[in-house]
Amino acid sequence: MTTSQLFNFSSYKYSDSLTVVGISFCTAIVCEAISWLLIYRTNSYKSLRSSIDKAAKKLETMKTETPNSSSSSVAKVKISNKKSKTKKIDRVETSLKESSRDLSLFKFKSGAVVALVLFVVFGLLNSLFEGKVVAKLPFKPFGIVMKMSHRGLHGDDVTDCSMPFLYFLCSISIRTNLQKFLGFAPPRGASSGLFPMPDPKTN
Amino acid sequence: MKEGKSVKFNLQQQNHQNGHLSPFKLAKLLDPDASWDKDQLGDVLHWIRQAVALVCGLLWGAIPVVGGVWFIAFLLISTGIIYGYYAMILKVDEEDFGGHGALLQEGLFASISLFLLSWILVYSLGHF
Repeated sequence: MTTSQLFNFSSYKYSDSLTVVGISFCTAIVCEAISWLLIYRTNSYKSLRSSIDKAAKKLETMKTETPNSSSSSVAKVKISNKKSKTKKIDRVETSLKESSRDLSLFKFKSGAVVALVLFVVFGLLNSLFEGKVVAKLPFKPFGIVMKMSHRGLHGDDVTDCSMPFLYFLCSISIRTNLQKFLGFAPPRGASSGLFPMPDPKTN
Repeated sequence: MKEGKSVKFNLQQQNHQNGHLSPFKLAKLLDPDASWDKDQLGDVLHWIRQAVALVCGLLWGAIPVVGGVWFIAFLLISTGIIYGYYAMILKVDEEDFGGHGALLQEGLFASISLFLLSWILVYSLGHF
Protein backbone atom coordinates (compact mmCIF):
# COMPACT_ATOMS: atom_id res chain seq x y z
CA MET A 1 0.00 0.00 0.00
CA THR A 2 1.46 3.39 -1.00
CA THR A 3 1.44 6.43 1.30
CA SER A 4 -1.23 8.18 -0.73
CA GLN A 5 -3.41 5.08 -0.54
CA LEU A 6 -2.82 4.90 3.22
CA PHE A 7 -4.08 8.45 3.78
CA ASN A 8 -6.97 8.25 1.34
CA PHE A 9 -9.51 7.64 4.08
CA SER A 10 -12.48 7.37 1.76
CA SER A 11 -10.99 4.23 0.24
CA TYR A 12 -11.36 2.33 3.50
CA LYS A 13 -14.48 0.21 3.84
CA TYR A 14 -14.92 1.25 7.46
CA SER A 15 -13.81 4.88 7.17
CA ASP A 16 -16.91 5.88 9.16
CA SER A 17 -15.11 4.61 12.26
CA LEU A 18 -12.54 7.40 11.84
CA THR A 19 -15.36 9.94 11.67
CA VAL A 20 -16.82 8.57 14.91
CA VAL A 21 -13.42 8.71 16.63
CA GLY A 22 -12.75 12.22 15.33
CA ILE A 23 -16.11 13.54 16.53
CA SER A 24 -15.63 11.81 19.91
CA PHE A 25 -12.22 13.39 20.32
CA CYS A 26 -13.52 16.87 19.50
CA THR A 27 -16.50 16.33 21.84
CA ALA A 28 -14.17 15.30 24.65
CA ILE A 29 -12.15 18.50 24.22
CA VAL A 30 -15.31 20.62 24.18
CA CYS A 31 -16.68 18.86 27.29
CA GLU A 32 -13.45 19.36 29.21
CA ALA A 33 -13.37 23.02 28.15
CA ILE A 34 -16.94 23.46 29.46
CA SER A 35 -16.04 21.59 32.66
CA TRP A 36 -13.03 23.81 33.15
CA LEU A 37 -15.14 26.92 32.63
CA LEU A 38 -17.95 25.87 34.97
CA ILE A 39 -16.17 23.67 37.50
CA TYR A 40 -12.40 23.39 37.61
CA ARG A 41 -11.42 27.04 37.61
CA THR A 42 -13.88 27.97 40.41
CA ASN A 43 -12.58 28.60 43.93
CA SER A 44 -15.20 26.27 45.40
CA TYR A 45 -13.88 23.34 43.41
CA LYS A 46 -10.23 24.14 44.20
CA SER A 47 -10.87 24.43 47.94
CA LEU A 48 -13.00 21.25 48.03
CA ARG A 49 -10.36 19.31 46.13
CA SER A 50 -7.60 20.62 48.36
CA SER A 51 -9.49 19.65 51.52
CA ILE A 52 -10.17 16.16 50.13
CA ASP A 53 -6.51 15.65 49.25
CA LYS A 54 -5.39 16.84 52.69
CA ALA A 55 -7.96 14.72 54.54
CA ALA A 56 -7.08 11.63 52.48
CA LYS A 57 -3.36 12.05 53.19
CA LYS A 58 -4.00 12.70 56.89
CA LEU A 59 -6.21 9.61 57.10
CA GLU A 60 -3.58 7.50 55.42
CA THR A 61 -0.91 8.72 57.82
CA MET A 62 -3.12 8.11 60.85
CA LYS A 63 -4.02 4.58 59.74
CA THR A 64 -0.43 3.56 59.04
CA GLU A 65 1.03 5.03 62.25
CA THR A 66 1.84 2.29 64.72
CA PRO A 67 1.56 3.04 68.46
CA ASN A 68 4.80 3.47 70.46
CA SER A 69 5.14 0.33 72.53
CA SER A 70 8.06 1.48 74.67
CA SER A 71 6.24 0.69 77.95
CA SER A 72 3.87 -2.23 78.19
CA SER A 73 3.00 -1.75 81.84
CA VAL A 74 0.43 1.08 81.50
CA ALA A 75 -2.34 -0.88 79.67
CA LYS A 76 -5.16 1.58 80.51
CA VAL A 77 -3.26 4.52 78.97
CA LYS A 78 -2.69 2.49 75.80
CA ILE A 79 -6.40 1.61 75.53
CA SER A 80 -7.51 5.26 76.00
CA ASN A 81 -4.90 6.39 73.46
CA LYS A 82 -6.23 3.85 70.98
CA LYS A 83 -9.84 5.04 71.59
CA SER A 84 -8.94 8.71 71.05
CA LYS A 85 -7.00 7.77 67.89
CA THR A 86 -10.03 5.85 66.59
CA LYS A 87 -12.22 8.89 67.28
CA LYS A 88 -9.80 11.12 65.40
CA ILE A 89 -9.78 8.74 62.45
CA ASP A 90 -13.60 8.70 62.46
CA ARG A 91 -13.68 12.51 62.50
CA VAL A 92 -11.30 12.77 59.55
CA GLU A 93 -13.23 10.07 57.65
CA THR A 94 -16.51 11.91 58.22
CA SER A 95 -14.95 15.15 57.04
CA LEU A 96 -13.59 13.38 53.95
CA LYS A 97 -16.98 11.86 53.14
CA GLU A 98 -18.72 15.23 53.51
CA SER A 99 -16.20 16.98 51.28
CA SER A 100 -16.50 14.19 48.69
CA ARG A 101 -20.27 14.49 48.76
CA ASP A 102 -20.10 18.27 48.35
CA LEU A 103 -17.70 17.87 45.44
CA SER A 104 -19.97 15.35 43.72
CA LEU A 105 -22.97 17.64 44.19
CA PHE A 106 -21.05 20.61 42.87
CA LYS A 107 -19.87 18.73 39.79
CA PHE A 108 -23.35 17.27 39.22
CA LYS A 109 -24.98 20.66 38.86
CA SER A 110 -22.44 21.90 36.33
CA GLY A 111 -22.24 18.50 34.67
CA ALA A 112 -25.78 18.91 33.37
CA VAL A 113 -24.43 21.20 30.63
CA VAL A 114 -21.82 18.62 29.64
CA ALA A 115 -24.51 15.93 29.63
CA LEU A 116 -26.58 18.06 27.26
CA VAL A 117 -23.65 18.42 24.85
CA LEU A 118 -23.04 14.67 24.93
CA PHE A 119 -26.72 14.01 24.30
CA VAL A 120 -26.79 16.34 21.29
CA VAL A 121 -23.61 14.82 19.83
CA PHE A 122 -24.94 11.30 20.29
CA GLY A 123 -28.15 12.31 18.57
CA LEU A 124 -26.15 13.75 15.67
CA LEU A 125 -24.03 10.63 15.34
CA ASN A 126 -27.13 8.46 15.53
CA SER A 127 -28.77 10.34 12.69
CA LEU A 128 -25.60 10.01 10.59
CA PHE A 129 -24.82 6.37 11.24
CA GLU A 130 -28.06 4.64 12.22
CA GLY A 131 -28.24 1.19 10.67
CA LYS A 132 -24.68 1.48 9.31
CA VAL A 133 -21.81 -0.86 10.10
CA VAL A 134 -18.96 1.45 11.13
CA ALA A 135 -16.37 -1.19 12.08
CA LYS A 136 -15.67 -4.90 12.28
CA LEU A 137 -15.10 -6.58 15.60
CA PRO A 138 -12.16 -9.01 15.83
CA PHE A 139 -14.10 -11.09 18.34
CA LYS A 140 -17.63 -12.40 18.80
CA PRO A 141 -19.40 -10.34 21.46
CA PHE A 142 -22.07 -11.69 23.74
CA GLY A 143 -24.65 -10.47 26.22
CA ILE A 144 -24.92 -6.76 26.80
CA VAL A 145 -21.85 -6.09 24.66
CA MET A 146 -23.56 -7.67 21.67
CA LYS A 147 -26.75 -5.69 22.31
CA MET A 148 -24.74 -2.47 22.20
CA SER A 149 -22.41 -3.42 19.35
CA HIS A 150 -25.20 -4.73 17.10
CA ARG A 151 -27.76 -2.05 17.94
CA GLY A 152 -29.84 -1.00 14.94
CA LEU A 153 -27.99 -3.27 12.52
CA HIS A 154 -29.60 -5.77 10.19
CA GLY A 155 -28.23 -9.22 9.53
CA ASP A 156 -26.92 -12.00 11.74
CA ASP A 157 -23.21 -11.21 11.65
CA VAL A 158 -22.51 -10.37 15.29
CA THR A 159 -19.05 -9.04 14.43
CA ASP A 160 -20.59 -6.04 12.67
CA CYS A 161 -20.10 -3.01 14.90
CA SER A 162 -22.57 -0.17 15.18
CA MET A 163 -21.85 3.43 16.15
CA PRO A 164 -23.04 3.34 19.82
CA PHE A 165 -20.47 0.73 20.86
CA LEU A 166 -17.59 2.49 19.12
CA TYR A 167 -18.70 5.82 20.54
CA PHE A 168 -18.88 4.29 24.00
CA LEU A 169 -15.29 3.00 23.72
CA CYS A 170 -14.11 6.36 22.40
CA SER A 171 -15.83 8.26 25.20
CA ILE A 172 -14.38 6.17 27.98
CA SER A 173 -10.83 5.96 26.66
CA ILE A 174 -10.46 9.48 25.26
CA ARG A 175 -12.25 11.39 28.03
CA THR A 176 -10.62 9.50 30.90
CA ASN A 177 -7.13 9.95 29.53
CA LEU A 178 -7.75 13.56 28.56
CA GLN A 179 -8.93 14.34 32.09
CA LYS A 180 -5.90 12.59 33.49
CA PHE A 181 -3.54 14.41 31.15
CA LEU A 182 -5.03 17.82 31.95
CA GLY A 183 -5.09 17.12 35.69
CA PHE A 184 -8.88 17.14 35.94
CA ALA A 185 -9.25 13.55 37.11
CA PRO A 186 -11.18 13.19 40.39
CA PRO A 187 -9.00 13.01 43.53
CA ARG A 188 -8.19 9.49 44.70
CA GLY A 189 -9.49 10.21 48.20
CA ALA A 190 -12.96 10.98 46.85
CA SER A 191 -13.41 7.85 44.80
CA SER A 192 -12.77 4.24 45.73
CA GLY A 193 -12.16 3.17 42.11
CA LEU A 194 -14.15 0.93 39.78
CA PHE A 195 -13.55 -2.15 41.90
CA PRO A 196 -13.39 -0.94 45.50
CA MET A 197 -11.23 -3.11 47.73
CA PRO A 198 -11.70 -3.35 51.50
CA ASP A 199 -8.97 -1.74 53.53
CA PRO A 200 -7.05 -4.66 55.10
CA LYS A 201 -6.08 -2.53 58.09
CA THR A 202 -9.66 -2.05 59.24
CA ASN A 203 -10.54 -5.77 59.08
CA MET B 1 23.55 11.94 50.05
CA LYS B 2 20.45 11.71 52.28
CA GLU B 3 20.05 15.52 52.27
CA GLY B 4 20.22 15.56 48.48
CA LYS B 5 17.51 12.86 48.29
CA SER B 6 15.17 14.68 50.70
CA VAL B 7 15.62 18.00 48.89
CA LYS B 8 14.83 16.31 45.59
CA PHE B 9 11.76 14.65 47.13
CA ASN B 10 10.49 18.00 48.55
CA LEU B 11 10.95 19.74 45.21
CA GLN B 12 9.01 17.02 43.42
CA GLN B 13 6.32 17.13 46.09
CA GLN B 14 6.02 20.91 45.59
CA ASN B 15 5.73 20.52 41.82
CA HIS B 16 3.10 17.83 42.24
CA GLN B 17 1.08 20.00 44.62
CA ASN B 18 0.85 22.63 41.89
CA GLY B 19 -1.64 20.28 40.26
CA HIS B 20 0.52 18.92 37.47
CA LEU B 21 2.62 15.78 37.37
CA SER B 22 6.26 16.90 37.80
CA PRO B 23 8.60 15.97 34.95
CA PHE B 24 10.00 12.64 36.03
CA LYS B 25 13.57 11.83 35.41
CA LEU B 26 13.76 8.49 33.68
CA ALA B 27 16.09 7.28 36.46
CA LYS B 28 13.37 7.58 39.10
CA LEU B 29 11.06 5.32 37.07
CA LEU B 30 13.62 2.51 37.33
CA ASP B 31 15.09 3.31 40.76
CA PRO B 32 14.04 0.86 43.50
CA ASP B 33 15.37 3.27 46.17
CA ALA B 34 13.22 6.22 45.04
CA SER B 35 10.47 7.52 47.33
CA TRP B 36 7.00 7.35 45.87
CA ASP B 37 3.90 9.36 46.64
CA LYS B 38 0.65 7.38 46.27
CA ASP B 39 -0.66 9.74 43.59
CA GLN B 40 2.60 9.72 41.65
CA LEU B 41 2.83 5.94 41.60
CA GLY B 42 -0.84 5.66 40.66
CA ASP B 43 -0.35 8.05 37.73
CA VAL B 44 2.72 6.20 36.48
CA LEU B 45 0.90 2.86 36.62
CA HIS B 46 -2.08 4.41 34.82
CA TRP B 47 0.04 5.63 31.91
CA ILE B 48 1.97 2.37 31.67
CA ARG B 49 -1.35 0.54 31.34
CA GLN B 50 -2.51 2.93 28.62
CA ALA B 51 0.76 2.48 26.70
CA VAL B 52 0.51 -1.33 26.95
CA ALA B 53 -3.14 -1.16 25.83
CA LEU B 54 -2.27 0.96 22.80
CA VAL B 55 0.67 -1.21 21.76
CA CYS B 56 -1.30 -4.44 22.19
CA GLY B 57 -4.30 -3.04 20.33
CA LEU B 58 -2.18 -1.87 17.40
CA LEU B 59 -0.28 -5.16 17.31
CA TRP B 60 -3.31 -7.43 17.66
CA GLY B 61 -5.10 -5.43 14.94
CA ALA B 62 -2.13 -5.39 12.57
CA ILE B 63 -1.30 -9.11 12.67
CA PRO B 64 -4.41 -9.62 12.95
CA VAL B 65 -5.50 -11.87 15.76
CA VAL B 66 -9.16 -12.67 16.28
CA GLY B 67 -11.10 -14.16 19.14
CA GLY B 68 -12.00 -13.29 22.70
CA VAL B 69 -9.02 -15.24 24.00
CA TRP B 70 -6.75 -12.39 22.84
CA PHE B 71 -8.67 -10.02 25.09
CA ILE B 72 -7.83 -12.31 28.01
CA ALA B 73 -4.23 -12.40 26.79
CA PHE B 74 -4.11 -8.61 26.87
CA LEU B 75 -5.46 -8.54 30.44
CA LEU B 76 -2.86 -11.05 31.59
CA ILE B 77 -0.01 -9.27 29.81
CA SER B 78 -0.90 -5.79 31.06
CA THR B 79 -1.53 -7.00 34.62
CA GLY B 80 1.73 -8.94 34.56
CA ILE B 81 3.67 -5.89 33.37
CA ILE B 82 2.15 -3.65 36.04
CA TYR B 83 2.76 -6.19 38.78
CA GLY B 84 6.30 -6.83 37.58
CA TYR B 85 7.01 -3.11 37.48
CA TYR B 86 5.90 -2.16 40.97
CA ALA B 87 6.83 -5.42 42.73
CA MET B 88 10.12 -6.32 41.04
CA ILE B 89 11.56 -3.14 39.54
CA LEU B 90 10.37 -0.52 42.03
CA LYS B 91 10.09 -3.04 44.89
CA VAL B 92 7.40 -0.99 46.65
CA ASP B 93 5.51 -2.30 49.64
CA GLU B 94 1.97 -2.58 48.28
CA GLU B 95 0.54 -2.19 51.80
CA ASP B 96 1.72 1.44 51.77
CA PHE B 97 -0.33 2.06 48.62
CA GLY B 98 -3.60 0.32 49.43
CA GLY B 99 -2.69 -3.25 48.53
CA HIS B 100 -2.31 -5.14 45.26
CA GLY B 101 -5.90 -4.45 44.27
CA ALA B 102 -5.53 -0.68 44.41
CA LEU B 103 -2.33 -0.74 42.36
CA LEU B 104 -3.56 -3.24 39.79
CA GLN B 105 -6.79 -1.40 39.13
CA GLU B 106 -5.12 1.93 38.31
CA GLY B 107 -6.26 2.85 34.83
CA LEU B 108 -7.71 -0.61 34.21
CA PHE B 109 -11.07 0.40 32.78
CA ALA B 110 -9.63 3.11 30.54
CA SER B 111 -6.95 0.74 29.28
CA ILE B 112 -9.51 -1.93 28.39
CA SER B 113 -11.48 0.66 26.38
CA LEU B 114 -8.33 1.97 24.69
CA PHE B 115 -7.18 -1.56 23.85
CA LEU B 116 -10.54 -2.51 22.34
CA LEU B 117 -10.74 0.76 20.41
CA SER B 118 -7.26 0.45 18.87
CA TRP B 119 -7.69 -3.27 18.16
CA ILE B 120 -11.05 -2.74 16.44
CA LEU B 121 -9.87 0.30 14.44
CA VAL B 122 -6.65 -1.24 13.14
CA TYR B 123 -8.41 -4.52 12.35
CA SER B 124 -11.29 -2.80 10.52
CA LEU B 125 -9.17 -0.33 8.59
CA GLY B 126 -6.23 -2.60 7.85
CA HIS B 127 -7.92 -5.79 6.75
CA PHE B 128 -11.09 -4.83 4.90
